[in-house]
Amino acid sequence: MAMEHLRWRPTVNERDFIERALQSDLRVDGRHSFDFRKLKITFGREDGSSEVQLGETHVMGYVTAQLVQPYRDRPNEGTLAIFTEFSPMADPAFEPGRPGESAIELGRVIDRGLRESRAVDMESLCVVAGKHVWSVRVDLHILDNGGNLIDAANIAALAALSTFRRPECTVGGDDGQQVTVHDPEVRDPLPLTIHHMPIAVTFAYFGEGNIVVLDPTYKEEAVMGGRMTATVNSNGDVCAIQKAGGEGVMSSVIMQCLRIASVKAADITSKIKKAVDSYTTEKALKKVKRLPTSVPQKISVTDVIMEDKGDGELEKQTVDVQQISKDPPTIVKVSSHEDAQPMTESSNAEVNTSSAVAAGESDESQEIGSPKSLKDAIKPKHKRKKKSDKS
Amino acid sequence: MEGGSRAEGRNPNQLRPFSCTGNPLHRAHGSARWAQGGTIVLAAVYGPKPGTRKGENPEKASIEVVWKPKTGQIGRQEREYETTLKRTLQSICLLTVHPNTTTSVVLQVVGDDGSLLPCAINASCAALAFAGIPMKHLAVAIGCGVMDNGAVILDTNTAEEQQAKSFAHLVFPNSRKSVDSKDPTQKDEESERGLISCITHGAMSEDDYFNCIERGVAASSKISDFMRKTLQKEVSGDA
Repeated sequence: MAMEHLRWRPTVNERDFIERALQSDLRVDGRHSFDFRKLKITFGREDGSSEVQLGETHVMGYVTAQLVQPYRDRPNEGTLAIFTEFSPMADPAFEPGRPGESAIELGRVIDRGLRESRAVDMESLCVVAGKHVWSVRVDLHILDNGGNLIDAANIAALAALSTFRRPECTVGGDDGQQVTVHDPEVRDPLPLTIHHMPIAVTFAYFGEGNIVVLDPTYKEEAVMGGRMTATVNSNGDVCAIQKAGGEGVMSSVIMQCLRIASVKAADITSKIKKAVDSYTTEKALKKVKRLPTSVPQKISVTDVIMEDKGDGELEKQTVDVQQISKDPPTIVKVSSHEDAQPMTESSNAEVNTSSAVAAGESDESQEIGSPKSLKDAIKPKHKRKKKSDKS
Repeated sequence: MEGGSRAEGRNPNQLRPFSCTGNPLHRAHGSARWAQGGTIVLAAVYGPKPGTRKGENPEKASIEVVWKPKTGQIGRQEREYETTLKRTLQSICLLTVHPNTTTSVVLQVVGDDGSLLPCAINASCAALAFAGIPMKHLAVAIGCGVMDNGAVILDTNTAEEQQAKSFAHLVFPNSRKSVDSKDPTQKDEESERGLISCITHGAMSEDDYFNCIERGVAASSKISDFMRKTLQKEVSGDA
């Protein structure tokens, strides 16, 4: 069944309207040429799970980590891999199965921006040089294609990496090679070290390269002559530039775009940091309190997206006594289970058993977790760690 | 479990808080985000699209299901979910209204804390309703677990599913709303309306199984009320 006829093609009128409006410096959604759409970043229950909405574009990022053997030429560095999924729910033209060329391009641009610019510190992910390192995997799911997927996916990846916590592990045993991965309930998981935030900023060119706009919608993308993505960070470093074909653009225009990109990057970096900080402090507060009064807070974090549309959640609380229930205070238990699950075959049997034991133990400790919760709150060690986590 | 009570303080018949958001996605024809506690599934529906896949009956509409897990490769578990969902949804949709078309349902797992398949079925049913695909009735799904001491609990989470002796995911047609409200004689009629799908894991005795079904039917009426309310609100919101 051919999917080509499903790809949205603009009509002659639409194309003409968009181009003519741009010549008078007007965009179809009323923005200025160099304005980003409204950005909303929310986080899921687990660490390392983010959802980004940039206008109509919706991307979900999820970070997991696993202990693996390092590459031979880099024995003391961890690895970072980015997997992009163009879900068929985002666009009727996306087919399940093999990723198309735009999916691969998106994955490569984000990969270059994050990994090759050394945004995430790889050396801190080394546990035993040459044998065990952490392999961080970022899954980006494109849920809704409203245009400018690269920028939105990049923000989702950064937000997820900023809130991701990897389990702490210690090396010990007789030969100093035995690695024990600690359960998140026992020892607080650690954040990744992120040196800088490379932000991707996409420009679209129209009318023989004269007209430039930022953050195109999918209609503008269908009509544009060419595009360029510049990945810059707030320090003014250019991490990656991608201009693959399309119309020729004068170098002065490119320089202007780069200048605009660094300004926008600073703005978006502050937005991401603000969202990550508020999420982290809220989570830290919840960990210390662990009282049912924290439940209303929790609902607002995960269901922010649901507020404008029907909030059936508030409704259902009045329906029947049966349905009213406290949400579990032990939110962390889900994350420990997810992290310990091997996604691909791990070559080291030792590590597998220790992490499997950790997962098995975690279940028991979680069940006993609720009576333990008050004691945990009083423990001074945890409180001190919370404060250091916040900064 | 100690003391016969569940980890979060729920009693055996208590369900987790539900929420359903209608049409969170803009490109999809219909979409729904269904959350049951920590289990969140996003379902999107596109259709009906022209043509059917090879091997499908062209005299009826066909439903294509794509399941996207949160991370990792697509394996057998995902294929099993796709097949279960496809068969369940095919039994609730009116397939003869649009012959020789394909409706595709895409599911994305946003969070997994037990009862993932029931949550997905509820989400896809809501998404089909929002997309306006003609259906005979709604499908309402619930997960039931049988613990070692024989107790039956509803809406199991991940920890409970692992500890349970066996658990089942049950799908029922939605309960009818009677003109005279709260008629107690409706109960027998509901249990006779039958079970659409049932996937069990682990071994359970016949009595336990029938117990699960009974509890499931009771829970399904609550869930169908919730679904009805959500759909009505969405429709009145549009108009």
